[in-house]
Amino acid sequence: MKHPPYHLRSNKAVERVAFVEGIRLLAGLGKLSNYTYFGFGGPYLEDFRLLYELCPEIKMVSIEEDPETYKRQKFHQPAGTVELWPGTFSSFLAQYVLNDEKSIFWLDYTGLEYGNFEDFMVLLGKVAANSMVKVTLRAEPKDFIDDPHEFRRKFEILMPDSSAVPPATSEDLANLIQGMVQIASQRALPSALPHVFQPVSSFYYSDGTGMFTLTGVVCRRSDQAHVRSVFKDLKFASLNWARPKKIDVPVLSTKERLHLQRLLPCSSAAGELLRKELGYLIDTNRSQTERKLQQYADFHRYFPYFMKATP
Amino acid sequence: MSKGRPTHYDPVDASPVKSFFVHMLTRDIRLEEAILDLLDNCVDGILRSHTPHNASEPYAGFKAEIEFKKDLFSISDNCGGIPWNLHDYAFRMGRPAKRPPDAPGTVGIYGIGMKRAIFKMGRRCLISTQNEGRAYDVEITPEWTADEDQWEIPVKPAKESLPEDGTTLVIGELLPGIAECFGADAKAFKADLERLIATHYVYIIQKGFKVTINGDLVPPRPTRLVFNKKVRGSKKEGIQPFIFKTKTGGVDVFLAVGFTRPIPSEDEIAREQEEKKYSSLDAGWTIICNDRAVLYCDRTELTGWGEAGVPRYHTQFIAISGIVEFKADDAYKLPTTTTKRGIDASSALYLQIKNKMREGMRIFTDYTNKWKGRADESRKQVEASGAPLTFAEIKAESARLPFMSTKRSVPEGDQYKPRLPMPKKLEPRQRRISFLKDIEDVRTVAEYLFEDAEKDPSAVGEKCFDLILREAGK
Repeated sequence: MKHPPYHLRSNKAVERVAFVEGIRLLAGLGKLSNYTYFGFGGPYLEDFRLLYELCPEIKMVSIEEDPETYKRQKFHQPAGTVELWPGTFSSFLAQYVLNDEKSIFWLDYTGLEYGNFEDFMVLLGKVAANSMVKVTLRAEPKDFIDDPHEFRRKFEILMPDSSAVPPATSEDLANLIQGMVQIASQRALPSALPHVFQPVSSFYYSDGTGMFTLTGVVCRRSDQAHVRSVFKDLKFASLNWARPKKIDVPVLSTKERLHLQRLLPCSSAAGELLRKELGYLIDTNRSQTERKLQQYADFHRYFPYFMKATP
Repeated sequence: MSKGRPTHYDPVDASPVKSFFVHMLTRDIRLEEAILDLLDNCVDGILRSHTPHNASEPYAGFKAEIEFKKDLFSISDNCGGIPWNLHDYAFRMGRPAKRPPDAPGTVGIYGIGMKRAIFKMGRRCLISTQNEGRAYDVEITPEWTADEDQWEIPVKPAKESLPEDGTTLVIGELLPGIAECFGADAKAFKADLERLIATHYVYIIQKGFKVTINGDLVPPRPTRLVFNKKVRGSKKEGIQPFIFKTKTGGVDVFLAVGFTRPIPSEDEIAREQEEKKYSSLDAGWTIICNDRAVLYCDRTELTGWGEAGVPRYHTQFIAISGIVEFKADDAYKLPTTTTKRGIDASSALYLQIKNKMREGMRIFTDYTNKWKGRADESRKQVEASGAPLTFAEIKAESARLPFMSTKRSVPEGDQYKPRLPMPKKLEPRQRRISFLKDIEDVRTVAEYLFEDAEKDPSAVGEKCFDLILREAGK
């Protein structure tokens, strides 16, 4: 199976680090060593590698349906603590026993299918309280340009407004998909049940294809205020289903980054400050440059370094 | 007579108990359906107080506005209000025999919908209504509900008059589960309610009625059937619905069943079974009684699937959909249940019509089976038939079709049976080829041949064969 170079996608890389920062805050709900991480690590198990570096106490399970990718994962296994589980996620949900233990799930889909929401709903009803669930879905407006009715046919039951045609901008489509995730979570955990899905962060980004990702915690309704307080200091925390935050980091050289980083963090108008510091535009005009540099200021701590290396 | 046995028997108390209405009856109905009952009252109000001037849009100009939040529910309409001569009946728990007969086409028959909806949601309710200049308020309080001996509710003159005749009903002191539904689950609840109204009120909304939920207008969600208008009265083949109409015992019936879309390919059937692609389907039967859908896209034995020669519903029949309309001036004659959201399966009228439903359905299950494995050819027939038509459009278009009377069979009526195209038998010189290949290999070849890894596998296989055939012929 051919895979895009996931590990070189800068916006996804930023979002992945932001996710791990959220995972670290789970310590406010109990020992991290009591958690198990489940993900679709892909051929390079990038998220597993990162998690092992930053939170080695967390047990890890990778779920992979493609036999060749599974073999490749064995080759890339970052630590002996990563268990590789061959099979589809649906069959994992049917077979795997969570044993009432706390989990962290990343449903890292590359497409957007109704079945993805069904899996998400089944999972919410299955995990123990104080588990974290993150879902990533494709949010690409051009997918529905040719046949806007296909979107309604696929997702009508989940759409906040079932007659709406899919929006033409990534931002609006990401917001619509977030609304669908919210409806799915309310269906999976209606108020008559003791658990609730509390969102903690929500982003959209594009490394060539628009993507939407939302992270939340399944907790007891009586603990919801406490969970909110644990995550309130997470950078770009989204605790009330507000519109997803855009990640669109600029391409900067290492020299530029090190130069600008001395000025960070700064309290306001970072984009303008950094543009003046550079003394030139890095995008089509001044406002675009400042917007990109504001993104850099916002996410610089999560920004990956891509270096050329000779083995 | 043995010692100690009483010689006098006091009559037993068989009077109604309020808690039966407040706690028991409310269990028989879902919250969304209780709200539809309130909408039914709005529409009955229109029929009672107005003579329609516009036959195609008799409900134009009328609206119902639904608002909900975590501590309150309200529904407000301009549908004529509750006439003063009905005030003594509208608030009774059940319909008194001496109540004046209702206007033709209304659906309220049991006198329980509004009260059941109120008690389903909360313990306090203010009903303000105005009809022909007479405006009054009726308030139901928790104290009144708790008092088993108090059956009268005070009526007060309205504090202010409304710009148009209509009714506003505000429910407070919501039950905890309902408050959660309107609060924590508001997004999912609103989506559910909107879809229910868009599908069950589709014909009323298409006829001009407007419904808003928290300020958002609910659009109609009609089912459309493929109808080749070029085939009219000739013996030409074409994709059209089977239609049956009759008038029996004061009830007008119009039935249409056909295709909403092309039949699915084998790949689509297999995919849909492995991973559900669509969240909802138009497939199945919708039954309308006096403009309200009482059953929507049913695919069970209740509507004839899996009975008397009709196969059980299966994904391969995803394209088949039917609509039956029952219309009666007297709502008692309609085959509905007390909740008005279900069919009385034992109704003699419904059982007769169900025969026709099955007869129509068999035409389309047979077509689907005959074209199985040749969905591409069938797709062309459907696409050549023009845009699918709504139920109202089908009724209008059917006037030009040659109906045949069925006088000797039950039920009597007029029917139109389409001549659907049938495949010619496979020529003896043709052979079907099918095989299984690794999914990744199929994707690789699809990408190579079509630059589309998701191309239909049967198209990939056929292309491979054609290429090799050309090569072999050189």
